[in-house]
Amino acid sequence: MGEMVKVGLKYCGGCNPEYDRVALVRHIEESLQGRVAFVTPESEGVGLILAVEGCSTTCADLSAFQGMDIRVITNIDGAEGFIKEIRKRV
Amino acid sequence: MTMMSAEQYEKSLRRLNLVVYMFGKRVENVVDDPIIRPSMNAVAKTYELAHRPEHEDIMTATSHITGTIINRFTHIHQSIEDLVKKSKMGRLLGRETGCCFQRCVGMDALNALSIVTFDIDAKHGTEYYKRFVKYLAYVQENDFTVDGAMTDPKGDRSLPPHKQPDPDQFMHVVEEKKDGIVVRGAKAHQTGAVNSHEIIIMPTLAMREEDKDYAISFALPSDAEGITYIMGRQSCDTRKLEGGMMDQGNLLFGGHEALVVFDDVFVPWDRVFMFKEYEFSRQLVEQFAAYHRQSYACKVGVGDVLIGAAQTAAEYNGVERASHIKDKIVEMNHLNETLYCGCIACASEGHKEPSGTYCVNILLANVHKHNVTRFPYEISRLAQDIAGGLMVTLPSEKDLQAPETATWLKKYFEAHHDIPTEHRMHILRLIENLTLGTAATNYLTESMHGAGSPQAQRIMISRRINMHEKQRAAKKLCGIEE
Repeated sequence: MGEMVKVGLKYCGGCNPEYDRVALVRHIEESLQGRVAFVTPESEGVGLILAVEGCSTTCADLSAFQGMDIRVITNIDGAEGFIKEIRKRV
Repeated sequence: MTMMSAEQYEKSLRRLNLVVYMFGKRVENVVDDPIIRPSMNAVAKTYELAHRPEHEDIMTATSHITGTIINRFTHIHQSIEDLVKKSKMGRLLGRETGCCFQRCVGMDALNALSIVTFDIDAKHGTEYYKRFVKYLAYVQENDFTVDGAMTDPKGDRSLPPHKQPDPDQFMHVVEEKKDGIVVRGAKAHQTGAVNSHEIIIMPTLAMREEDKDYAISFALPSDAEGITYIMGRQSCDTRKLEGGMMDQGNLLFGGHEALVVFDDVFVPWDRVFMFKEYEFSRQLVEQFAAYHRQSYACKVGVGDVLIGAAQTAAEYNGVERASHIKDKIVEMNHLNETLYCGCIACASEGHKEPSGTYCVNILLANVHKHNVTRFPYEISRLAQDIAGGLMVTLPSEKDLQAPETATWLKKYFEAHHDIPTEHRMHILRLIENLTLGTAATNYLTESMHGAGSPQAQRIMISRRINMHEKQRAAKKLCGIEE
């Protein structure tokens, strides 16, 4: 395994989410134990931003992260894609 | 301090010295009173969610005056995105609390004043906007809950303020001093009044020159000397005094309203934002009302709760597969999402005012609120239809616990082997709470009259519709040339 990735976690506001965003992040965290550390997006050394959006409107404000590597999840299936990517990488 | 936590908010309320009456007695401990406390819990939720990563994108904003992160309830809208997020915040909090969370009215008053004080200064060379921005910074810095108070008792509705037999039926100036003014009057139906740190007063209707003593706007600490709060009753309110964990329906949250009396209260000049500029009272009323009509986005969130409860009741009763039940659930969702369309539309079609504040589309905000005066009633009717008559004939929680009756209740109110009878009773109590209990105050009658009764929206719709353009389009298509 490579070095642990610091992932800046950014949620949308969750006005009308189509799934439980917090539970999904918990699932991702458990699936990637030892590979990623979820931190606030403003933290130092963030290698990747994970935007967890409750629906396909994707309204979370990502303007502060311009130029950074960003992954966007809008449903449960999106989490599996993210888990696979990180597993390949780390 | 910029953003209080829920705990800090509760502590801050304990420092207030409010004069509150309920059931004919002074309430000595407002925060812990069992009737009032659920409403405090609902406001506290607006503080709690602002600190949660999964909600901060909606619940917080960047102050345009200090650049710091603030609770959105103290924010002045700086973009269409801000207006849209405000609508989304309403749905979120309505769903989280299942009731009125009371804090939108102060946000709406602040935003309306940010526009109108600027416009008064432009005409009269006054300094209201400067005063207002200083006050706004104070509210943002302390993360206050503000009660926006517009509705006067109004006395004889056929008479303007200056012709009322009792001049106090509309808030008015009784004395001008070197350092401020003295005001007298009352504001009725004040949602969340005793959970607020500040109160902003606005005139209740458009005024003429003869009414200029009534054309005033100002802010005061909620515990300023001379202010008295008299709590309004809600249907089934004393169930909160019974203890238990079932019969109140919503175990955590609620709303409240109060009559707020101002008995010769002193207001220093630096807190006065309109003083006899009667020609701006209509603008302030219309823009505050438009923002506040947008705020009825909260009813979509409460609707989410009621729809969820109706579906659950159907499942507990074993009827969820019946075609007419499915159709009723679809209808409830159709109505609820139609409401959502309106609050998003009036935000998306907003515009920038000369002060820089973004204001909602006034026509669409009124159309949205007009729908709110109707659809929650139909959603409630359908929920009661699905729930069945048991929601109003169900014995009490105490009967469920009494050894003499518990066995019978569990036996005869069980509908599904896998579902505990208690669960069925809980969900029916929630539907009762929302459609005819304490929460119906806010979900139904407040939907009807809050932010203006239906006729007020119809007047605004008639004022804002461009009929000439509609006629031109029609005449063009059928060959009429004028």
